Amino acid sequence: MNIILYSERPDLASELVTAGRAIMDICGGALQALTIDDDEQADFLAARGVSVHRVRSDQPSPADVAQLASAVHQTAVALEADMILLASNRRGRELAGRLAQKLGGGCLTDVGRFEVLDGRPAFSRNALGGAVEDVRCMETGKQVIALTPHSFAAAGVATGPGPVSDLPVRLSPSLVRLKETIRKGADAVDIEKADILVVVGQGIENKEDLTKAAQIARSLGAEVACTKPVATDRKWFSEERIIGLSGKRCKPRLALLLGVSGQVQFTVGIRDAGAIVAVNLDEKANIAYVADYLLVGDLKTLLPELVKRFSA
Amino acid sequence: MGFVVVSDHGKEEAMNIVVAMKQVPDLKMIRIRDRRPLLEDVPFMMGEIDRSALEAGAELREALKGKLIVLSAGTEPLEDTVKEALAAGADEAILILDEALRDGESALVAQVLAAALARMPDVGIILFGEGSADNYSGQVMARVAEILSWPQVGYAREIRIEGGVAQITRSLEDCEELLEVPLPVAVSVVAEIRQPKTPSVTGILRAGRKPKTLWTLADLNIGLNGGAPVRTISRLAPVSSRLGQVIGSVDELVEIVKAKRGPS
Amino acid sequence: MDFKLTKEQELIQRTAREFAEKNLLPQVESIIEENRVPDAVIRDLKDLDLFALFMPEAYDGAGADYQSYVLVMEQIARICPAVAVIMSVNAVGLAAVEIFGTEAQKKTYLPPGCRGDGVLSFAFTEPGTGSDPKQITATATRKGDAYILNGTKRFITNASFAGPIIIIARETETGEVSGFIADKFCDGYAISEPWKKMGCQGAPLYDVYLKDLAVPAENRLGAPGKGFRILKVALALGKIGISAIFLGTMLAAYEEALRYAREKTHRGEPITKFQAIQMAIVDMAMKYEAARWMTYRIGYLADHAKDKGDILKDSAMAKIFVTETAVDLARIAVGVHGSYGLMKDYKVSQIWRDVIFGPQVEGVSHLLKVLVAGEILKG
Ligand SMILES: Cc1cc2nc3c(=O)[nH]c(=O)nc-3n(C[C@H](O)[C@H](O)[C@H](O)COP(=O)(O)OP(=O)(O)OC[C@H]3O[C@@H](n4cnc5c(N)ncnc54)[C@H](O)[C@@H]3O)c2cc1C
Ligand SMILES: Cc1cc2nc3c(=O)[nH]c(=O)nc-3n(C[C@H](O)[C@H](O)[C@H](O)COP(=O)(O)OP(=O)(O)OC[C@H]3O[C@@H](n4cnc5c(N)ncnc54)[C@H](O)[C@@H]3O)c2cc1C
Repeated sequence: MNIILYSERPDLASELVTAGRAIMDICGGALQALTIDDDEQADFLAARGVSVHRVRSDQPSPADVAQLASAVHQTAVALEADMILLASNRRGRELAGRLAQKLGGGCLTDVGRFEVLDGRPAFSRNALGGAVEDVRCMETGKQVIALTPHSFAAAGVATGPGPVSDLPVRLSPSLVRLKETIRKGADAVDIEKADILVVVGQGIENKEDLTKAAQIARSLGAEVACTKPVATDRKWFSEERIIGLSGKRCKPRLALLLGVSGQVQFTVGIRDAGAIVAVNLDEKANIAYVADYLLVGDLKTLLPELVKRFSA
Repeated sequence: MGFVVVSDHGKEEAMNIVVAMKQVPDLKMIRIRDRRPLLEDVPFMMGEIDRSALEAGAELREALKGKLIVLSAGTEPLEDTVKEALAAGADEAILILDEALRDGESALVAQVLAAALARMPDVGIILFGEGSADNYSGQVMARVAEILSWPQVGYAREIRIEGGVAQITRSLEDCEELLEVPLPVAVSVVAEIRQPKTPSVTGILRAGRKPKTLWTLADLNIGLNGGAPVRTISRLAPVSSRLGQVIGSVDELVEIVKAKRGPS
Repeated sequence: MDFKLTKEQELIQRTAREFAEKNLLPQVESIIEENRVPDAVIRDLKDLDLFALFMPEAYDGAGADYQSYVLVMEQIARICPAVAVIMSVNAVGLAAVEIFGTEAQKKTYLPPGCRGDGVLSFAFTEPGTGSDPKQITATATRKGDAYILNGTKRFITNASFAGPIIIIARETETGEVSGFIADKFCDGYAISEPWKKMGCQGAPLYDVYLKDLAVPAENRLGAPGKGFRILKVALALGKIGISAIFLGTMLAAYEEALRYAREKTHRGEPITKFQAIQMAIVDMAMKYEAARWMTYRIGYLADHAKDKGDILKDSAMAKIFVTETAVDLARIAVGVHGSYGLMKDYKVSQIWRDVIFGPQVEGVSHLLKVLVAGEILKG
């Protein structure tokens, strides 16, 4: 299997290195990385022991996914790649479909892990809103696989760096003009990396109680994350902090869930946590099936007590 | 006096807005038995994000002076399911019905939608949800754009159209991009773009009377050569190894949290 | 026979449920406390065309059927029965004008009623009688081009909203009972303080005082002496709304009890473990199902009856059964809650105060049974 990997984000690309190596262990073959107009990333990946192709485009337009796809496609053809590994962040997912169409290949996004079946990799991803997990195999010669961020460990620095070479591509003029990039707030939190998470759900009903949840997080040395409606409807947090299908997949050692009902679209993002402790008014809330420990009770009265106990 | 958008030919041009709708099983109604999902008798519905896309599309109608058309490929109950979109404001529906579309395989659906778009006149923009409510794969928009050689923008949080150009805000994990793209363009939207509106009774009752065009794969000259590019080997609910223990007191909770938190 | 909802009915039901849960639920407490439904609620109902569901589109109605009306009333009453009571009485008034009115009356009164600009009242009950139209004492005296109305009407819903009121009164000349349409708050119209009701708060009841209230002659509804006929049809249709309302409260009581039973624990286990609770749950489920299909069926009958008066026997039977069964079911639901069911913090205690209204309104059960017996035995 001839594998190439690409992500605009070096940290995610280095996870793809780990995943790519694991696939090679199954089917043999070669693993190469590509970077697009990003020499810094090329060096970063080379240091991780992979062979890197620095794609140089004649008219770079990083926000134009059609162009990105064209660049990756030309590289894939030049390197005779069978499998293209991408990161399943938003940019990567958008790229995956277009690239697969160009290659005439199958495509899977949001792949969390894979296993070996008849000497081939079989990929797992959530389906039916997270209620089930599909295991799927690719039937096409060319395939595009986008991996859920942080499903694989980042590759460490290797003893010997991989070779770096240049690879020019020709792109047609871009139709998409990037007028402005606006960084999202000062919320540079990365809940995916947090060891301990305090997760706020809609069961926390006002800002005062929210402050108490934040206080508990501080005492525990935890990051605060939230369910989707808390960010998108109430706008209490940036979307950066959403856990779940349309947010982040987190694997903290400990997660404390406050007023979270535990719909599948949420639980897919916390399934892999070490220990899950939940507080909910409703004993029959779905969270009862997801948590290790559930305290049934009213957060309105419990929060002040918890603040006191954890700060002690 | 206001400004009127004129094309190169000097006459006002109306362009249509297309919203791609996927019919999905009502996820709240799915029960699991022996780790397998029970799908019989689960009703179909219009996906939630598609409802948001439709609402966003309705707002563009004025700028484009065209029709809001809902486009959907799927199996039989679609004729009923599409009434949700028509009730919520779509002017007409174009449906491609075929048993082969049951699994909603992305590559095939994209091929079908692109073929349909190619024969629809004056399409200015097609809107998709960022991912379907059931599969959340998010490939179809990009595949359609590639087949038609259209530009694409994923994860739109805001769309404005002026003078045949779309100004789109793309919402990524760490930033937003303000983009300018000529029409026609394929766009996927995030759920937050608009809150879906509750349709009125009159809207619902008129839905069935709105124009509906039915096409088959044969009408679109699409043959089913070769199998699907992806094969599903198993579909099972994950097994939980969680303790699921109800604890009785705050004391216990504090103790557990402190133990699990480990050395800080 | 097909017990499935059409897609349209399913969507109308969903529209009503979304409205009730998003719009009404957050203000139920204040509606009960203030015994008043804000005007904005009426406007929002109208925006979704829920307010005058079955009126023809020609008069700005939604042109839906009675089956959809039943589905909507059930969903609204599940969250807030008072709002549904207001809708139901308004609907009875509109139906009476639509069936018995002249074209001019329809053009004048139906569109604003459908738009929710005015809310209709229907005044029949008096201090002396609620069940026996023959005892009506309010009078209408012909004087030139007008009728002069006098008397007291009791327990009148929507009496404080602007809009038309349909008054059933006895013509002094002939002694016959006729219907009249008047504008509320015209000269000669006055209302009491609202009655202090034990339940269904939000739809206040007033006594209406008619003192030399002048109604133009062209505002007589139907021919002279048609009053009983109007009552018969209005009450036949009114019972559809009432059945659906108390079906909605049954659903709410059932849901509350089920949720409580799952949450409440006894020695660490939910009380659903107990067979007694399980049987209570089954009893509630059966009662709700039986009432549901009986109610949906009268919606169907109303859609297919040429003369809406023909459904009186069936709608009376449905109304008796549903409202009496609702009381039974609420009693079980309170029982599942133990003493908590008597506390105002628990929704089921409000439902308990609401359901008892069912058998007493729109014809008390006893009297309706007399009526049904007469129909069955007439040979
Ligand atoms: C396509 C799609 C994608 C989605 N993606 C995501 C996603 O990525 N992430 C996500 O989170 N959601 C997602 N959702 C939404 C998801 O289905 C749920 O609606 C959401 O997770 C619910 O959030 P919640 O638990 O905060 O709120 P709720 O469901 O409202 O739950 C609140 C909980 O708090 C409890 N509670 C209330 N008051 C108190 C109190 N005083 N004390 C203690 N407990 C109390 C209640 O019992 C309840 O269980 C998605 C949905 C769709 C359709
Ligand atoms: C919430 C609410 C809203 C209302 N809205 C309106 C409205 O908008 N307009 C309006 O006109 N009225 C309205 N009413 C009044 C209601 O319709 C009457 O109260 C009801 O019909 C009963 O009349 P009554 O109280 O006068 O009882 P009565 O007629 O005095 O009957 C009392 C009891 O006597 C017995 N009885 C009486 N006659 C007979 C008989 N012939 N055969 C056998 N038994 C008999 C029955 O057992 C009955 O229960 C409303 C009432 C309520 C509670």
